[in-house]
Amino acid sequence: MSFKFLGATALVAALGMGSATALAQPTEITIWSWDIAASSLKASLEGFNKQFPDIKVNVQDLGNHQVFDKTLAACAAGGDGLPDVVTIENYKAEIFWNRFPDCFANLKDLGYTSEIQAKFPDFKRTELEAGDVPYAMPWDSGPVAVFYRRDYYEKAGVDPKSITTWDDFIAAGKKIAAANPSVVMAQADFNGDSEWFRMISNEQGCGFFSADGQTIAINQPACIATLEKIKQMKDAGTLTAANWDEKVQANTAGTVASQLYGGWYEGTIRTNSPKLAGKWGVYLMPSLAPNGAHAANVGGSSLAISNGSQNKKAAWTYLNYVLGTDEGQITMLKSFGLVPSLLSAEKQPFVSEPQSYWGGQAIWADILGTLPKVVASRGTAFQGDADGIYKATQTKYFAGGYPNAKAALDDAANQIASATGLPIAQ
Amino acid sequence: MKSQSRSTLVRSLALHGALIPLAIIWLFPLWMMFVFATMPDYGIFSPQIELLPSTHFLENFSNLQADTDFIRALMISIGVAIVYTVLSVLLTSMAGWALARYLFVGKSLVIAIILGTITLPYFVVVIPQFIMVAREFKMANTWIALIVPPLFNSLGVLFMRQAFSMMPAELFDAARVEGVKEWQIFLRIALPLARPTMAALAIILFLASWNNYLWPLLINSRPGMLTAPVALGTLIGLTKVSWGGIMAGAVMLTAPILIIFILLQRHFIAGIAAGAIK
Amino acid sequence: MQLRNRAAYGFLAPYLMIFAAFWIWPIISSFLMSFQNTRVNPWVFSFGANWGRLFNDPAFYNALKNTMIILIIQVPVMITLATVMAVLLNSPLLRARGLFRFAFFAPIVVGEVAYAAVFRLMFNLDFGVINKLLNSVGIASISWFADAPAAMALLIIAVTWRWAGYNAILILAGLQSIPGDVYEAATLDRVGKARQFIYITLPLLKPIILFCVILSIIGSMQLFTEPFLITNRGGPGGGTETLGLFLYRQGFTSLNFGYASAIAYTMAALAILISLLNLWVGRDEK
Repeated sequence: MSFKFLGATALVAALGMGSATALAQPTEITIWSWDIAASSLKASLEGFNKQFPDIKVNVQDLGNHQVFDKTLAACAAGGDGLPDVVTIENYKAEIFWNRFPDCFANLKDLGYTSEIQAKFPDFKRTELEAGDVPYAMPWDSGPVAVFYRRDYYEKAGVDPKSITTWDDFIAAGKKIAAANPSVVMAQADFNGDSEWFRMISNEQGCGFFSADGQTIAINQPACIATLEKIKQMKDAGTLTAANWDEKVQANTAGTVASQLYGGWYEGTIRTNSPKLAGKWGVYLMPSLAPNGAHAANVGGSSLAISNGSQNKKAAWTYLNYVLGTDEGQITMLKSFGLVPSLLSAEKQPFVSEPQSYWGGQAIWADILGTLPKVVASRGTAFQGDADGIYKATQTKYFAGGYPNAKAALDDAANQIASATGLPIAQ
Repeated sequence: MKSQSRSTLVRSLALHGALIPLAIIWLFPLWMMFVFATMPDYGIFSPQIELLPSTHFLENFSNLQADTDFIRALMISIGVAIVYTVLSVLLTSMAGWALARYLFVGKSLVIAIILGTITLPYFVVVIPQFIMVAREFKMANTWIALIVPPLFNSLGVLFMRQAFSMMPAELFDAARVEGVKEWQIFLRIALPLARPTMAALAIILFLASWNNYLWPLLINSRPGMLTAPVALGTLIGLTKVSWGGIMAGAVMLTAPILIIFILLQRHFIAGIAAGAIK
Repeated sequence: MQLRNRAAYGFLAPYLMIFAAFWIWPIISSFLMSFQNTRVNPWVFSFGANWGRLFNDPAFYNALKNTMIILIIQVPVMITLATVMAVLLNSPLLRARGLFRFAFFAPIVVGEVAYAAVFRLMFNLDFGVINKLLNSVGIASISWFADAPAAMALLIIAVTWRWAGYNAILILAGLQSIPGDVYEAATLDRVGKARQFIYITLPLLKPIILFCVILSIIGSMQLFTEPFLITNRGGPGGGTETLGLFLYRQGFTSLNFGYASAIAYTMAALAILISLLNLWVGRDEK
């Protein structure tokens, strides 16, 4: 009986009739994800199950840290305990392929053809493929923008269009804080994350590592300029410390005028602060120089299928639907603001529609317009080490532990070198 | 005479004046745990000081159950703690018995090694334990992985050895003269006599297993195989989570063990105190 | 006693097997791993990859510093408190003894995860009851999680709350084992209670207090769950990262088992060193 069934599956697959039709009995696949990523996967299920009623998808929200930790531990344990599908942040992805080449399935074997691969931009794929083995499929991008409170800016007489440099941002912050008591200009998670540094340094074409991932670039001039500017913003009171939760609370409570994040933050603001509809808007991120770049990427994830999964075909069917079709991607963009990296999805009419929550602004056209200008940045297998070292250096630098930003980042570069064994770029 | 009783009164007042505030401070977090567990999230995050319980415990618990399968996790924790306690008491009793009552080759070496590992931090062994159990034995996410590696317990052996070595030798010698086998002497004579010590040890071991966090966190990642502390720990730090639910879980973790503590306080304290008196 | 090898090994065997498999072998294996470069696949032997890095790693010194701060502040505070608790609980004048014992001893049974959750809520910046109480007496809110010294203080408060009662039990047991006639003689000689405590009780308690100090040091050295859960993985910015947490991060987040093993051995060496130091301080001066 089971032999017959297996044979039938193989036959159908060989005939190219699509795998889903071959699944005679309902299959359940489990996915680990977090926050709005998990919510948006759930939102995609209605459309998915219309086409594939036999595949039940169980999305588990474990939180960002824990998905990473648990996946790493499970891979170290030889893959046992993994769900069928794992959400992996692109910049943290390479440690998996590097250390555990057998932990995740080669998606090529499951139907990820080069035609499908070509539907995604190259910069999204570099971190997800090792050699010619694609381990994960790109999901969303994080084109950076400033999310701002229209009412607070207006009250202070600040036109967001006039903010083109970070110095403009600081000046605007002073006006806004003066006009709106107990409102801060912007928040950064100085204690637990490095997001502002990663965003602005990427805008300036710098990063922890060089684009090929072979050298350490954190003490290059553009990175130094970035750290200096962040400290200026902190000292000027433009940036105050707040972690993820506190930022969300501040958004809802109306105690913050702007947030800098990837496009996916749209869903966080809209779904957590529904009462503020019409009060928020979006503008492009400022730059270090008046004629500088205004595009960066932060975050962005992918989905990978574990090698130990008993339901690889079903898992692939889901991946190909949710990430590889306009319908899947636009559903997630609409519901939770996850910016598709599927190139064709960017041309869907929804992208150019004005959004009522955002005061009628066609925010997606603005945000997605920056994507082609994003400079690729590389996480490498040592992202965790580098990030930890950067955060400690930043804390020490803010506390006056270094004479200047260059000394701080030189020290960070040396520490990363001893942690990773990689050379420092000249 | 009169001045003596007055000074006693003054001393008693001073004593209670010092103890009562200290006791209130010490009870406060426990009290707040119960209060939080009965409050809705908007009560926990309200601008007023809320020190009295509300009525939302069941609602919180069902929120918790929606966030993670906590009832299942509790069952796993109970099962693990019971099996672990029984096995561990048995193993440490046998070893303690051997070390207390027999002369054998290598005895002082065994004792020296056991003593030597007491001061060794657990972190020295945790990584190889993880590699061995998870990667080489492929036993991550199993009951065996949760129960067996923590069975090694040097304080328990010393504790049981102490109890057995205080028993009069004549008792066992008499049995041997009558031809009773060694394992029967252990089972029929020694173990029943050591019952109070075993009870104290069992409580301590049960508690240790019930609250164990790091090892179950590392070795079991499958959501259906999480122990209760790990299941609860995974919720701390998530963004969209019911804090009332987390506190309801904390109460579920704490209340049973507090009840055991109240009922068996004497054994509990004896077990802890015995660690010190050599 | 007669030599009885077979019976003895029969009783010892199951325990020794577990011991060998899950302790002796890991201890050796971890030592060997500390000399391997585990950042590459497959691992290669490298004498300096971990040990050479360790003593130049500011993150290691940060974790060491944090651990030492906890040891130096938390252990004496807690042992003093525990001694006070034990002495007060031992007073014959005490009423409602059971209630007080419950108050101080109950935290021992509360799991780390449960109390971590409560402390996170109690010390929340805007909504925590502690800051509200501080505000009500005119003290400004303290940013317990975002300010490194405050986070360290919070950690020390939490650990002290949890473990003071444990030490009080040990010290109380010691107090109760002091024979009463020692004090009777002193009372007859009109030695005051305070002087009796300093000259009789404390010296007699010295071995047990020393034992508590060693246990607490070993415990504090391995502190993991509290900074992991209460202060958000050693936050802010590594301000409460202990050696245990640093090891976890290297081992299970950066997946550098070799480096983590080198950290583990350093912790072991420190634990042994501090224990020996204590024993030396507490030796009998005869």
